[in-house]
Amino acid sequence: MTNMHSPLHHIEVPASVAAAGVVMREDKYRGHLNLRGNPQDEAFTSAVAKTLGVALPTTPNSSAENGTTRVYWLCPNEWLLLVAEGTQGQVEADLRAALADQHIAITDLSSGQTLVNLSGANIDELMLKSAVYDCHPSNFPVSKVVQTTFAKTGAVIYKCADGSFDLVIRRSFSDYFFLWVADASEEYGLQVV
Amino acid sequence: MLHIYCPYCEEMREEEEFSYSGEAHIARPTDPESLTDAQWGDYVFFRTNPRGLHHEMWNHAAGCRRYFNATRNTQTYEIHETYKMGEQPTVTGGKP
Repeated sequence: MTNMHSPLHHIEVPASVAAAGVVMREDKYRGHLNLRGNPQDEAFTSAVAKTLGVALPTTPNSSAENGTTRVYWLCPNEWLLLVAEGTQGQVEADLRAALADQHIAITDLSSGQTLVNLSGANIDELMLKSAVYDCHPSNFPVSKVVQTTFAKTGAVIYKCADGSFDLVIRRSFSDYFFLWVADASEEYGLQVV
Repeated sequence: MLHIYCPYCEEMREEEEFSYSGEAHIARPTDPESLTDAQWGDYVFFRTNPRGLHHEMWNHAAGCRRYFNATRNTQTYEIHETYKMGEQPTVTGGKP
């Protein structure tokens, strides 16, 4: 694992700003698994719930959490599983064993995308000018998940309990994403941790 | 910008997330072998281009990536309804 590089490993970290309004932190090497199956099938939902320890969310734009495992609703028959670093292979194997003869799909996306946390006093302003979706607290409660665009690039946006945002972005757009965030947060001050 | 209701995400989203996918409710011929060239050409290439109500497909490309149908007025751009694949429109302007 010594040769692993996270998608944002190369960015030049700006000098630490005393009163940074935006703080960016890459949640490196999280396991990303895409799961597809029929939510009307009781055998499917119960097997997944038993394996993950958390039931699949079936309400649009919702999520579920159990310790380090987080499940995002993506569409009526598709979910994104965010699991702890290095465990995605085991989770995938467990799911395949539990769903052995069912019509499902599991895809490991861990190396194709990354999780970035954006927080800080000015985070709502940053989201306002970056995303076409209305990220105001009145429209974006905690644990809501929205697949939308962030500065023209696709992103899965999640609202954390502390008011910060977790964004799943594609690896190939991570450089563009950082340059946008650096530019958009210039007036507030950006800190990368 | 249009504000479009996605019947799968169950909320209004910005037009930027969607892509247009042409006329809806085009039935695939059940017996393609028996079609004349004119009939096959009509199925593959020719689309209605109405002035007024139009039933069309949209794809929520940056969201749930599902196709759905919309009834839109091509003159005013007003979207009267959106509905899931397999469902029938309720706004038809008196036509079936």
